[in-house]
Amino acid sequence: MIDPGYISGLSAILFFIGLAGAFTRKHAIIVLMCIEIMLNAVNLNFVAVAMQTGDPEGWVFTSIAIAIAASEVAVGLAIFLSLYSTRETINLDEVDLLKH
Amino acid sequence: MGETKNESRLLLFLVAALMIPVGLFVGGGGDATSWSFIIIAAPMVAFPIILIAGQIWNGHPLWTNTLKEGGIPALMTMTITLGMGLWVITDYIRGVAHIESYTVSHILSWISFDVMTHTSNQWVILPNWEISFGVWVDQTTLMLLFVATFLTFLICWFAIGYMTTDEINENRNHRFFAEYLLFTAGMFGMVLADNFLWLFIFWEIMGLCSYLLIGFYYWKPSAASAAKKAFMTTRVGDVFLMVGLLILYHIYGSLDFSVVFDDPSTGVAGAAVDASLLGWALIMLFIGAVGKSAQFPLHVWLPDAMEGPTPVSALIHAATMVNAGLYLVARMVPFVDVANGGVHGLEDIGLLVAWVGGITAFMAAGIAFVQNDIKKVLAYSTMSQLAYIFTGLGAALWFFNHDGDAMRTAGIIVLGSSLFHLFNHAMAKGMLFMASGSVIHEMHHAHHHLHHDHHDDTHSDVSEIPEALVSLVKHLRTEGLTLREFFDSLDIDSSRTLTVNELQSGLVSTSIVDDSTDVELLVNAMDRNGDGEIDPVELDKYMMDFLIGGKIESHGDHDDFDPQDMRNMGGLAAHLPVTSTAMMLGSMSIIGIPLIGGFWSKEGIVGHTWDAYFHGEPLMLGPALLILLTAGMTGFYMSRMWFMTFAGSPKSEVVDHVHETTPWIKTPLVTLSLVTAFTGLILTMFGAVKFLGGKYDHLEFHHGGFVEEFVYALEHAFLPSDPNFMIVGYTTILLSFIIGPWFAMRIHGGSLKEGSSAIPLVSWLVNLSSRPSKMDVTNMAESSLAKALEERLYIDYLYEEIIRRTVIPFALLSACFDRKIIDGIVKGIEKGSQASSERIRLLTTGSARDYILYAAVGALSIIFLLMGVSS
Repeated sequence: MIDPGYISGLSAILFFIGLAGAFTRKHAIIVLMCIEIMLNAVNLNFVAVAMQTGDPEGWVFTSIAIAIAASEVAVGLAIFLSLYSTRETINLDEVDLLKH
Repeated sequence: MGETKNESRLLLFLVAALMIPVGLFVGGGGDATSWSFIIIAAPMVAFPIILIAGQIWNGHPLWTNTLKEGGIPALMTMTITLGMGLWVITDYIRGVAHIESYTVSHILSWISFDVMTHTSNQWVILPNWEISFGVWVDQTTLMLLFVATFLTFLICWFAIGYMTTDEINENRNHRFFAEYLLFTAGMFGMVLADNFLWLFIFWEIMGLCSYLLIGFYYWKPSAASAAKKAFMTTRVGDVFLMVGLLILYHIYGSLDFSVVFDDPSTGVAGAAVDASLLGWALIMLFIGAVGKSAQFPLHVWLPDAMEGPTPVSALIHAATMVNAGLYLVARMVPFVDVANGGVHGLEDIGLLVAWVGGITAFMAAGIAFVQNDIKKVLAYSTMSQLAYIFTGLGAALWFFNHDGDAMRTAGIIVLGSSLFHLFNHAMAKGMLFMASGSVIHEMHHAHHHLHHDHHDDTHSDVSEIPEALVSLVKHLRTEGLTLREFFDSLDIDSSRTLTVNELQSGLVSTSIVDDSTDVELLVNAMDRNGDGEIDPVELDKYMMDFLIGGKIESHGDHDDFDPQDMRNMGGLAAHLPVTSTAMMLGSMSIIGIPLIGGFWSKEGIVGHTWDAYFHGEPLMLGPALLILLTAGMTGFYMSRMWFMTFAGSPKSEVVDHVHETTPWIKTPLVTLSLVTAFTGLILTMFGAVKFLGGKYDHLEFHHGGFVEEFVYALEHAFLPSDPNFMIVGYTTILLSFIIGPWFAMRIHGGSLKEGSSAIPLVSWLVNLSSRPSKMDVTNMAESSLAKALEERLYIDYLYEEIIRRTVIPFALLSACFDRKIIDGIVKGIEKGSQASSERIRLLTTGSARDYILYAAVGALSIIFLLMGVSS
């Protein structure tokens, strides 16, 4: 069995890749994808720990998280669509209506 | 302005109201005491009703003409209280039902709370300490209850005539009557309360109402400041009163009359009462009484309080409120009554009271010499007469604090005389104030009448403008129009401006002005930019200035004519038969002309104050001498007032147009004239003095026949067995009856103008006054003493100076502290948070990536924190 430490390490690397992408990219869909990467990094961690302890909670959590992530992506994409239809852009730098 | 003719049908309302006490008496069962709470409750309930109804139906014809803007409901309430009061009094005098001396019935025992008290070095909480309200009826209560219910009834009657016929008061009278009722509730409550705490509470209600009523014309700066002065001055006394009550509570552990008076020499838990501590408590109570009854040195508010409407002067400053202080001092008698368990060694209280009374009596009479305002003379006269009563009560306290039957008898007589004088004075002074109100009212109307006649002839008086505007405001109110809508309705050619012609035709067609009015004046006054036309802004601005500037209020007072100034009167006896008779009888009663009113009580006070001196109290000589001199001075200033007002030839053209109008004013005057003239004698024959002094519980004849009783009373008054009394009595009569009026006649007397005549009741006096040769007093009037008296002996200035040197700097300092420190802290917090929020809001960039960054940083910091905690 693979040492869970490696899996956690991979998960951490994936998480920080996602974080860095979310910070730096301008395109909203890419930011969304980065968030998904972070989410899945966490899922990976859950699965790894569940595999090690044999506790099913981790798998259950993961499947729920995947389901919710799917619906969240759907919502996110819908927001981007409507954003595009009103502002004609999904560049996050140009969308700052919530500014002070 | 309400109609004043054919209004006797309105009296049917009173019959309806009278049914309540009569119904309770006939069918209600029980005794008067158990229903007597109605005396307090009725005005208390009617007060908000009139206030709210007046706000809702203001200007409604039914409310204005039939209900007299609340006057009729108020009078109905007064009828109920008068009926109940008479029932309580007759029950007490007949000795039936449960009412005996010192009977207490608790009505409001449902208010209770926990009280923290200090016993034997530790604080203990007494659970369910009851605040109960009871009714305490004894002779003192009865006398004041009768005075209060009877006079408030008559003054209310008078007020309907006085207040509702004056345009100044239009649509405000409900406020007057509501405050009037609250005041009477306070008075009745104070008289009936069985507990010093309730007495104090009702005392304060009266204080509040006197403030409201004196400041009834609150837009007049003089009235507003007089109200404040009265409130603040009496408040000085009230603070002391409260301290006195706290000391009493400390001594007796209760403020109930039944507990305190049960055995005044035994304090809480059977401890003997310390005379000096009780003495201090009584001095504090006395200072409270001094404030309320306007005695030296807290007398300064009373003359200024004459700014209130005249019924208020009659109500507060003659009949009821000023008597509250006397009532409180009379309530102090059981503490010093050594024959019934009072505390020894309190003679000094009596001396203090007598001295304050003596000084005030003399001082006020002196100031009354030079007053020209008819109400001010009466104000100082009130002060002086109340001081008489204080002197008598002081002598009574002194006598009661000595052992021996002779002392006790003298105490009873002088206490009874003082309370009887309170009765006589209240009746006479209430009537004098109402009579002066009648004079002022008619002078004012006559002047108004003259003034109108005058400018109707010339058509050029600028004072027509306010007239037109007053009717304009009324028109807008009745039609429910805004000023703009009104403007548009006048603007026939829709030019957005009004010309003189448009305004004229518009105002005439809505009958705001009549054809003869010169509208051009109005236009000139309104036209700000001088284009000869009025635009909506100009009209609006003008109306606002007009309303804010209060010119509607002062309407009618276009010049400096003062209807209260006696120098404008003279010879009014020819025009005001009822008023002049009433005033003559009232003045006689105050002066103490033999056989009339106050004579019977005044003799007792003066005689027994001297008696205290003869009994070996050298310090009593001062008050005794002062009030003896004051008797003569009273004779002078009261006669001076009467002669200046009613005798001689008219001093202004207004006098010729004066005539008595409304029956609402005449009826109470006639009633009180009869009461003043005869009750002194009648009650004396029934033994009122001894009854009020507490020796007998019931009024009684002790000789039998009416004639014998009359002879007995005369004998007692004119041929006393003690030669000292004889000397004092005849000196008083000589001073007050002969010397005082004689000088007044020589200075101010005189026969009426050729061709006018007075009714026989007063014409003899007018003719008599023209007999003595005239005396020139110009030199005396210009002396520095007269000047000092006119300036009220500079006491007001002294107080103002002291306040300016002490209170005002302190107030400025605390205002500064408040502004800089207290407000500074609050404002600093506000400014700091605003500045920091300015910075923090810069973080909300609106960019999603920044928010993700914040969230990530936040999450990471939480994780690190948790790691730090767990490791």
